[in-house]
Amino acid sequence: MSLLEVERINSFYGDSHILFDVSLEVGKNEVVALLGRNGAGKTTTLRTIMGVLAPRGGRIRLDGREIQGLPPYEIARMGLQLVPEERAIFGQLTVEENLRLAALTAEKAWSLDRIYEFFPRLQERRRSRGRQLSGGEQQMLAIARALIRDAQIILLDEPFEGLAPLIVRDLVRVSRELAAQGRTILVVEQNVVAALSFSDRVYVVNNGHVVWQGTPAALEADPALMKTHLGV
Amino acid sequence: MSRASATMLPLAALAAVLAAAPFVLPHLGASLDVLQRVLDIGLLGLGFDLLFGVAGLLSFGQAAFFGTGGFVAAYLLVNDVIGSVWLALAIGTVAAGLFGLVVGWLAVRRIGIYFAMITLAFSQMAYFLEFSPLSAYTGGENGLPGVPVPWFGPIKISTGFPMYWLLAVVFFVGFVLARRILHSPFGLVLRAIKENTARAGMVGHSVPAYKLAVFVIAALYAGLAGGLLGIFQSYMPPDAFGFDTSGDLIVQTIIGGVGTLIGPLVGATIWLWLRDNLQLIPAVGSLWKLILGVIFVVLVIALRRGVVGEIRHLLTRRRKAVSEAGLPEEPAGDVAAAPVPLPLAAPMIAAESGAPALEARGICKHYGGLRAVDGVSFTIRTGSIHAVIGPNGAGKSTLFKMLADEVVPTSGEVLLFGRRITGLGATRSAQLGIGKSNQLNQLFLDMTVRENLRVAALARSQGTFRPDVLRAADSIAAVERQIAATMETLGLSHRAEVPVHVLPYGEKRRLEIGLALATGPNVLLLDEPLAGMSPAERTATRALIREIGRSRTLLIVEHDMDAVFELAERITVLYEGRLLADGAPEQIQASEAVQTAYLGGLRAHEPA
Amino acid sequence: MPSASLLISQAFNGLALGMLLALVSSGLTIILGTLGVLNLAHGALFMVGAYAIYVVAGYTGSFVVGVLAGTVLMLVLGTLLERGLIRWFYDRPPEDQLLVTFGAGIVIVEAVRAIFGPQSQHVDVPAWGQGAVQLGFLIYPTYRLELIGIVAVLLLGLYLILYRTSIGLVVRAGIEDARMVGILGINVRRAFLLVFAIGVAAAGLSGMLYAPIVAVTPDLGETFLVESFVVVVIGGLGSYPGAVLGGIIAGEIISITSAFSPAYSGVMLYAVMALLLVLRPQGLFGSEGRV
Repeated sequence: MSLLEVERINSFYGDSHILFDVSLEVGKNEVVALLGRNGAGKTTTLRTIMGVLAPRGGRIRLDGREIQGLPPYEIARMGLQLVPEERAIFGQLTVEENLRLAALTAEKAWSLDRIYEFFPRLQERRRSRGRQLSGGEQQMLAIARALIRDAQIILLDEPFEGLAPLIVRDLVRVSRELAAQGRTILVVEQNVVAALSFSDRVYVVNNGHVVWQGTPAALEADPALMKTHLGV
Repeated sequence: MSRASATMLPLAALAAVLAAAPFVLPHLGASLDVLQRVLDIGLLGLGFDLLFGVAGLLSFGQAAFFGTGGFVAAYLLVNDVIGSVWLALAIGTVAAGLFGLVVGWLAVRRIGIYFAMITLAFSQMAYFLEFSPLSAYTGGENGLPGVPVPWFGPIKISTGFPMYWLLAVVFFVGFVLARRILHSPFGLVLRAIKENTARAGMVGHSVPAYKLAVFVIAALYAGLAGGLLGIFQSYMPPDAFGFDTSGDLIVQTIIGGVGTLIGPLVGATIWLWLRDNLQLIPAVGSLWKLILGVIFVVLVIALRRGVVGEIRHLLTRRRKAVSEAGLPEEPAGDVAAAPVPLPLAAPMIAAESGAPALEARGICKHYGGLRAVDGVSFTIRTGSIHAVIGPNGAGKSTLFKMLADEVVPTSGEVLLFGRRITGLGATRSAQLGIGKSNQLNQLFLDMTVRENLRVAALARSQGTFRPDVLRAADSIAAVERQIAATMETLGLSHRAEVPVHVLPYGEKRRLEIGLALATGPNVLLLDEPLAGMSPAERTATRALIREIGRSRTLLIVEHDMDAVFELAERITVLYEGRLLADGAPEQIQASEAVQTAYLGGLRAHEPA
Repeated sequence: MPSASLLISQAFNGLALGMLLALVSSGLTIILGTLGVLNLAHGALFMVGAYAIYVVAGYTGSFVVGVLAGTVLMLVLGTLLERGLIRWFYDRPPEDQLLVTFGAGIVIVEAVRAIFGPQSQHVDVPAWGQGAVQLGFLIYPTYRLELIGIVAVLLLGLYLILYRTSIGLVVRAGIEDARMVGILGINVRRAFLLVFAIGVAAAGLSGMLYAPIVAVTPDLGETFLVESFVVVVIGGLGSYPGAVLGGIIAGEIISITSAFSPAYSGVMLYAVMALLLVLRPQGLFGSEGRV
C-alpha cells in the first residue's frame, strides 16, 4: 500500500471540469513528479489533495485513511503539507514569525536552529519581513515552513517557477537533500529538466487527464512523447 | 400574458389599493396619518430600492438627502423666500440631488464596506450641521414649524383626505417612473453591475458613472420625500437627518422585499402598523421595537427576499420549474454550420486586411524587482488569428491584461489601428473595439442568455454612459438584431430565455465568448477559451472560434496545443517575460529554442 | 481665540476621548481585518459595557470588580454572537453581513432599553478617581487623567497579545491570508471566534471606562459607532497601529475644534475623513488593494 493514493478524482472550479478521473500513487520515501503544460491540472491536483478544493467523486487515501473532503488544517495535521505555487508568504510577518506560525500545530516540530542549518540564508534574514525577501528566499521560506512541521509528504507546487537558473540549481540541491533524507515528495513542475533530475517516477498530465506514467529515463528516451505532451 | 397587460396589471392593482386604502385601512388600525407617513417612506424607498435592490449599493445614509430636501424646502417656505409650495419642493429636491452628487462622487468608487461607512458618516455630518452650525436656518433641535400646505389652483390641499390624495398621486407617479427606470437600458446596466460589476465594466459600461447616476436618483427621491414630510406634518423635524431615518428604511425594505420597488411601502406599512398596534398590547408595550428588530434579524437569516419578494418567488417558481424541466437537448452537429454574417461595428480607422490591428511596442510590466513582462513587441494583423503561448510564469496573462487595458504597462505602448490606447482602461478600450473573454466565466448568472447579450450589445450603442431611463430595455432594434445574430453564431438561440446559471458548462463558456462578441468588437482577445472543456466541447468551440475568426481579428492565449496549431495563423512565444519567437506555426514547431524553453530552461543547468 | 488653558485642557480631553476611540476602533478593525465583517453592532456593545459597570459597580460598590466582571460578560456575549449568528454569514455576501450585524445592534439596544428603560443612568466616578489634579496652571479631573493611563495599558496589552503571543501571530497572519493559515494546520475559524470576542471586549471595556463621565443611555453607542468607522478609515482597514493613531487623532480633532467652535466639533472629523478619502483612501497604514 502506498503512502498516498489518489483514486479517480474529478475536480471543478465552479462548474469548470478540470480533472477527469485522475489517479496516482506515491510510495513512502519516493519522489514523484507530476508534469504537464500549465492549464493541464497539475496545481489543481495538489490543491485537491490538500483539501483546498473538494473533489467530486473519487478518493484520496493517506496511509490508508480517506482524506477527501476534510478541511486543509486537518489534512496538514495528518502529515501532508502543500507548498503553494504562489508561495503565500505572510508579507507583514518576519521570516522567524512565518516559521513559528507554521510550527504551531506540528507534533514533532523542528527547532528553529535545525531549520537554519538547512537554510543558512534564512538565518541571515530571520528578522526581515516576508515582503522584503527575494523570490528565491521566499521559496526557501515556503519549503522551510513545510519542513519545520516535519511533514510526512511534501507537495511542491512549481518550486522553480520564475527563479533565476542559479537559484533553481540551489533549490534542486535542496530538493535532492530532502529526498535523500527519506522524505516523500510529490512535485509539480513545468521545468521538466529540473524535475527529472531528482525524481524517481513521473506522471504526465494533459488537459486534466493522466496520459503517461513511468521513470524519468523512460521519458527522456522518448522525445516524441515529451514534445506531444510537454513541449510544443 | 401579453406585454401590455403585464405592464398595466401591477399598476392598476396599485392604483386600486391606493384608492381603497384610506377607506379600508383606518378600520384595521392604520390611521390616515400613518398612511401618509407610509406613502412618504414608500417614496423615499423607491429611490433606495433602485440604489440597493437593483444596483446593489447598500447606503446607510439616505437621511442626509431626505433632510436636505426637507429643510431646504421648509426654510424657503417658512421664511417667505418662495411663495409657491411646488417650487420650494422642486428646489429642495434639486438641492438634495446636488448633495447626492457630492457624496456619491466620493462614495461610489469604493466597494461594499467603505461605501456603507462613507454614506453613514456623511449622514451623521449632515445631522450635526443641522443641529448646531446651521441652526439659524434649520431651527436646530426645534426644527422648522409652520410649513404651509400647497394649493392646487383654488383648492387648498389641507391635512386629511386631500393631503392623502396628494401623497398617493406623487407616490404613484414616482412608482411608474421607478418602474420605467428598472425596465430601461439604464436599469439593465444597474442590474448587471449588481451581478457582476467587473464584467459590466469590461464590456464597455462606465460603472462609476452609472453608480453615481443611481445614487443621485435615490437622493432626488429622498429629497422630494423629505420636502413632502415637512408639508404634510406642517413641521420639519430635526430627526429627519437622524440615523433612524436611514436605519428604519433599511429594515422596512428588507421586511417588504428588496428589489421589488414596492417593498419599502409594504415594509413601512407593516412596520408602522405593528408599532402602533403592538404598543396597545399591555404585555408588549414599549418592547415593539425589540420585537421588530428580532423579526428583522430572522428575515435576514432566513427569508432574505421579504414579503413581496417571497410571494413573487413562489409565483414564478412554478413557471420556472415547468420551463426548466423541458430544457431541450443541444441540437447535434456542428454548432457553426450556417455562417451568419455578424454586424461589424465600424473600426475607428478603416483598416484593410493585413494592416496592423493591435500592436504592442516594447511593453513592460515590473512589480518591484519582478519583471513580469520585459520589452515585448509584436503585431497582430487585421483579419488574422494570432496565438500567444509560453510556459508558466512566461508573462502571458500579464501581457494579455495590458493588451486589454486592464493593467497599465510600466513602459511601452499598445496601439489599436495605429492609435495609442495604453492606459485608457478596459471600459474605454471596449468602446474602441476590443472585446475580451475570460478564462473563468464572468457571466450575469441570474439573467437570461438574451439579457446577458443585451448588456454587452447595449454598451456599444449607449456608449460608456447614457441615462436612458424611459424607453424599454429591449426597444432598440439594432441592439436586438445584434443579439439575435450573436445567438445564431453561438448556437444558443434555443436557450434565449433560459437563466444562465442553469446552462451546462460548455454552453456557458460559449456565452462567455458571446458576451465579448456582442459588443461588436474588431479585435477579440480570448483567454484560454477551451479551459475546463471536455474533448467534445473542445471540438465545438474550436469550430466556433474558426467561424468568428472569419470576420474578426483574434488573439488567443491557450495551452491546448492541438487547438493552437489548428487555429492560429501566427504564433508568439513568451518566455520569462520576453519574446522568444514569433512566426508561422511550422516555424515555431521546428524551433529548438522553443522546445527547450518548454522543457526546462533555455540556459541549461547541469544536474548539480 | 480660545485661551491657552482651554486649549490645553481640550488637548487632554482629546487625548482621553482619543484613547477610548482607539480602543473601540481597535476591536472593530481586527474583526474587520481578520473576519472581513464590519460589525455594525459595535456601538451597541460599547453601550452594554457601560451598563455592565452600572449594574456591577452599583451592586458591589467596587469599580474594579465591575470592570473585571464586565470584561467576562463581554467575552461571553462576543462568543454567543459569533457562534450563534456571525459564523453563519462568513460565506454570504458583504451586504448580508452588514445587515445581520446591523440587526443584532438594534436588538441589543432595544433589549437594554426594555430592561433598563430609556432614562439615563449614572455611574459614580470611583474613589481613586475623584477630585482634580494640578498640572502647571491647569486643574484637570483626576479620573480623566487616570483614564488615559488605564486605556494606554489596555492598548499595550492588546499590542502584546497581537505581537507577542501565538494567537496574535495567527490573527496577524489571518488578516493577510486566512487560507494559507489553514493550510499550515491551524483551525482559522476557531481563531475567528477569539478575535471577535476580543474585539467585543475592547468595545465593552471602552464603554465601562467612559461610563463615569457621561450619562448612560441605550443610545450611547450610536455616535461612537460612526466615529469608530471614521477612525478605521483614517487608520486603514485592519491595521491595529492605524486604529490607535487614528483614534488619538480623531479625539484631538473633535476636542480642539470644540475649543474654537463647539458647533463645528461634530462636523470637523467628517470633513477630515472626506479629505482623506480623496487624497489617500487607504488611510495611514492600510494597504491599497483593500479599497
